Amino acid sequence: MMWNWKRSVRSFLCFLIGAVALFSIDTQRAAAEGATDTYNYSFWGTTVKSPAAYTAEKIINGQQFDIGAFADPNDIHVTENQDIYVVDTGNQRIVILNKNLELVHVIDSFMNNGQEDTFNQPEGIFVNELNDIYIADTGNKRIVHLNDNYELEKIVDSPQSEVIKQDFDFKPVRVVVDKAQRIYVMASGVFDGFMEFNADGEFTTFIGANRVQVNPIEYLWKQLATKEQRSQMVQFIPTEFTNLDINEQGFIYATNGDSFGDTIKKLNAQGNDILRREGYFNPRGDENYYVDDGPSRLIDIDVWHSEIYSVLDSKRGRVFTYNGDGHLMYIFGGLGNLRGEFVNPIAIERLGNDFLVLDRALGEITVFEPTVYGTTLNEAVKAYYNGEEEDAYHLYQETINMNANLDFAYTGIGKALLRQGKYKEAMEYFKVSKDQMNYSKAFLLHRKQVLRGYFPYIMTGIVAFVLLWFGWKVFRNVRGGRRINAVD
Amino acid sequence: MLWTKETLKYPFYVMLHPFNGYWELKYERNNKINVVVSLIILILLALTNILHSQYSGFVINIYNPKEMNSIMEVVYVIVPVLFWCVANWSLTTLMDGKGKFIEIFNATCFALAPIVLIHFPWIWISNFISIEESTFYYFSTGFALFWFLYLMFIGNMTVHQFTPSKTIATMLLTIVAMGFMAFLCLLFFSLIQQIVSFVYVLYQEIVMRN
Repeated sequence: MMWNWKRSVRSFLCFLIGAVALFSIDTQRAAAEGATDTYNYSFWGTTVKSPAAYTAEKIINGQQFDIGAFADPNDIHVTENQDIYVVDTGNQRIVILNKNLELVHVIDSFMNNGQEDTFNQPEGIFVNELNDIYIADTGNKRIVHLNDNYELEKIVDSPQSEVIKQDFDFKPVRVVVDKAQRIYVMASGVFDGFMEFNADGEFTTFIGANRVQVNPIEYLWKQLATKEQRSQMVQFIPTEFTNLDINEQGFIYATNGDSFGDTIKKLNAQGNDILRREGYFNPRGDENYYVDDGPSRLIDIDVWHSEIYSVLDSKRGRVFTYNGDGHLMYIFGGLGNLRGEFVNPIAIERLGNDFLVLDRALGEITVFEPTVYGTTLNEAVKAYYNGEEEDAYHLYQETINMNANLDFAYTGIGKALLRQGKYKEAMEYFKVSKDQMNYSKAFLLHRKQVLRGYFPYIMTGIVAFVLLWFGWKVFRNVRGGRRINAVD
Repeated sequence: MLWTKETLKYPFYVMLHPFNGYWELKYERNNKINVVVSLIILILLALTNILHSQYSGFVINIYNPKEMNSIMEVVYVIVPVLFWCVANWSLTTLMDGKGKFIEIFNATCFALAPIVLIHFPWIWISNFISIEESTFYYFSTGFALFWFLYLMFIGNMTVHQFTPSKTIATMLLTIVAMGFMAFLCLLFFSLIQQIVSFVYVLYQEIVMRN
């Protein structure tokens, strides 16, 4: 009897294990099919798994429009009404697509003083809200400004100023334009920051120069060297910017190619860096990397609504997205040959909620679409940014249901709870997100509340104690006095 | 054995009257009992360290359960103390110090008493403070550190019968010597590791050769 019972238990266990094994194989396959899981960084700097926020859905390479494949495209720009402008550098043309990824127009020439003029290796483009097109026509050393009918408005070239050398070679690479039609140009070989031109195309000033980063060892050698030797050595010069973008408030977001220091900057009108760095790490791409490979080299930046910005790392082909506080939201992409991976990514741009990544070597644009997780997180950050704490609370709850490792989301929930007066719970959430400032705020309110609750008892206790003490003293005096009398 | 209430009170006396306290510690008190009291202080400090890293308030202590290791916390207390004592003893024997190793150990452990005394209550108080009030915490821990250094100074001076300037010089040299010891330890361990791996590889060669 006993033996039988044991055997049946054993066979049941075997069945259970088999079932679990089968089930796990099935889920593994399912996960492999998705194969989109990415990572994020925890508060402790460790790499933690994260669900994919964006997945590659479509690829455009120009051939489907019967205009020939893109050749070495260098930049893309998406306008407010979601037209896509691709700088097809190798083909000396600008390709315009609409938001459904259909061909609208190709600009390969324009009329300049009655003569047909063309581009020469253009590298950058910007289109403002009036649909005015600004093209950095790098090979021709000029910026071409076309209106919305693709007719020439003006040409900006050979800037003249006291602060510019006479033999200065103007090679614009990237360009942005603010609401006041001021043009900001990133030109190659310029170490003084961006070149600012007024609406008429006259050079006004440089803004936002990078600081000189001195390598201590090189500095020591330079100190030891003689004057002749020093003149032979490489000069300490500030690094160039690698890209720039402008948001609706007119702040310029810029990246530079440094391997240390602040590689992402948000410049105000005076050229000061005002980027918020309140996240667990200063925004700079990857936190963990092999020393031999070095940190991320950021080559493009794109600003979205709610101060969300994304940067592109050319070294590992990844796109990092941060919120306005500097918290890392999600990472996607990578180098490789699979869909959703790149060979030589050069530019990123938002198309509504989607993402466009331009690959120069392949001449392809990969369209990434947000997953449910990505959409929820985007919405959560937006609601939080706009102060809609109730919405942010629910959206962040959904987010952490999908990704419990997203540490900063707990701050969003905690803040909503704080607003609702649930101080104790808020404290718990701030503890999870390691947010000491907000924890302290919630704690103070909680402490006040608790102490106020006990205030009557505490006050009664103190009064009672004082009365008892006095009573005891009086009692002892009276009794002691009597005793003294008695002794007398 | 002379275990009295006074024995347990003695560390407090040393804290408040270091000159007399250390003198009596060296010349007038039973050394065996002193060592026991020293060990108790050391254990209490290790315990304080463990409890601090686990239970201190969130505003002063962000705690990673994955990296918390009680044994390591004990090691962080005991190893520096032993290093200090060994380095100090090695130096002072060459510099005409009058202290024996056990006396140096006692003096060092007694100097640690204020750290225990101040840190221990803060483990609990720190759970009831805000960020603004954490200044008090940092102030008192700084105060404890200065008290500890002061006691170390007096203790060293008394144990070795040095002049103040010589004491300071010795203490600084001791820190340098600790650095040397750490370096030698690292060297030793890495050499041992190399030898072990060499022997292991040799063993593998022999085993797999047939």
